[in-house]
Amino acid sequence: MDWYVLWDYRWPLLNGLTLTIWLSAVSIVGSTIVGVVVGCLGTLPSFFLRRATGAYVETMRNIPVVVKLFFLHFIFGLDAIPAGILSLVLHQSAYIADVITAGLRSIPTGQTEAALSCGHSRSQIFQYILVPQALRIVIPPLTTQYIQVVKNSAVVMLIALEDLTFQTQLIEHQTFRGFEASTAVTVLYLLIVLVIAVLMTLAHKRLVRS
Amino acid sequence: MSDLTRSLIWLPKTDEEKERVWKVLMASLLVIAAFSMRDFRWNVVWDAWPLLLKGLGLSWALALLSVTLGSLVAVPLAVARVYGPRGISHAAVALIEIVRATPELMVVFWVFFMYPILIGGNLSAWTAAVVALTLIAAAYLAEVVRGGLYSVSREQTEAGRATGLSAFQTFHYIVLPQALRNMLPAFIAQFVMLFKTTSLVYVIGVIEFFRTIILVNNAEFAPYALYVTMAVGYFVCCYAISWLVRRIDPKYQLTE
Repeated sequence: MDWYVLWDYRWPLLNGLTLTIWLSAVSIVGSTIVGVVVGCLGTLPSFFLRRATGAYVETMRNIPVVVKLFFLHFIFGLDAIPAGILSLVLHQSAYIADVITAGLRSIPTGQTEAALSCGHSRSQIFQYILVPQALRIVIPPLTTQYIQVVKNSAVVMLIALEDLTFQTQLIEHQTFRGFEASTAVTVLYLLIVLVIAVLMTLAHKRLVRS
Repeated sequence: MSDLTRSLIWLPKTDEEKERVWKVLMASLLVIAAFSMRDFRWNVVWDAWPLLLKGLGLSWALALLSVTLGSLVAVPLAVARVYGPRGISHAAVALIEIVRATPELMVVFWVFFMYPILIGGNLSAWTAAVVALTLIAAAYLAEVVRGGLYSVSREQTEAGRATGLSAFQTFHYIVLPQALRNMLPAFIAQFVMLFKTTSLVYVIGVIEFFRTIILVNNAEFAPYALYVTMAVGYFVCCYAISWLVRRIDPKYQLTE
């Protein structure tokens, strides 16, 4: 084994890490926004909204990310980076919507009814009663979803974006040191995941305390 | 809406009426979509259908094989994590969490690269794919099994032990059957995930559904028709599995 190869390839690896991190960060923000909107719409009493959000979630969840990626890149002709971000957002927002819907539904309807009878408006109930409680419930499953985004971001190498996983292939093809490269990159992925897990745990603790 | 408009326009009121309206809407949407895709080169798909079907069969075989092998590994892993002595349980946790935190694509590469270094000799792409998918399935299913084990309350174990069953008998006859029943929906959800993951092993050259589509596309260049077929193929397969989940338990919502 020759770990020195990692030092030779420090710049490609660093570039890959940067790309993976910012691609995941943008996708996490995007999928949270889309997921929260879809998830909240799903809890409204309208029958057709519920069905439409359900259809969105089912469609997005039953098609692999790679298929979406190739669809967006080769059929809709999006550039590599927008296609990557959009496919990750479409994929994970469906899961996040589900988490949000489940979180909001887990709060007993008695609370909403009590607030209504106290004279609060719908938006007030949402803002002061549902959201603060739902946030606490939702954060642990959201952590899993965010980690999924980071992991799924590896597929963008298939449309030649030079992310971390792409660099392992580069090193393998140029030096046959795939093992060392894979180890290093796996450790880097573990670090990213760990950072997300720690940040989300801190956020959760803070919310529970307040 | 004023009373006049309400009397002129029919609006669905009961849930059954709304359900029917929704179905008609969806059906017409599908018809419009199909109509707008009429100029795609469907004859390519038609000519290649034995190949595509073979690819889809291979995807199913990969998913079924690795989920079977994966659950065989997952049960001892989960038991080690929950009941094992400290060293063993830590090892199980490390294995599960490392596999779960690594992108599936990386796991596939890992198996493909690591095998020749550790054991020597070459690994066929097919074997590497099965091993990689089994690893992924085992790590995720171990968590499902753990959830199932925790879902059986402690009192059951205590009652079993109090009536004179051995620890193994309590586990085998009391905890495990209930845990298995509780974790069935989550298990099938993981199977859907795994089926979608099989689309990644094409990178090491296994000719499953995804790769078949790419190969046919390289030969014939009919991306529109082929990619639509691919998306529909995966959707139908995964939807069929999750439909099965709802048949088993209508209350159950699929979550990862």
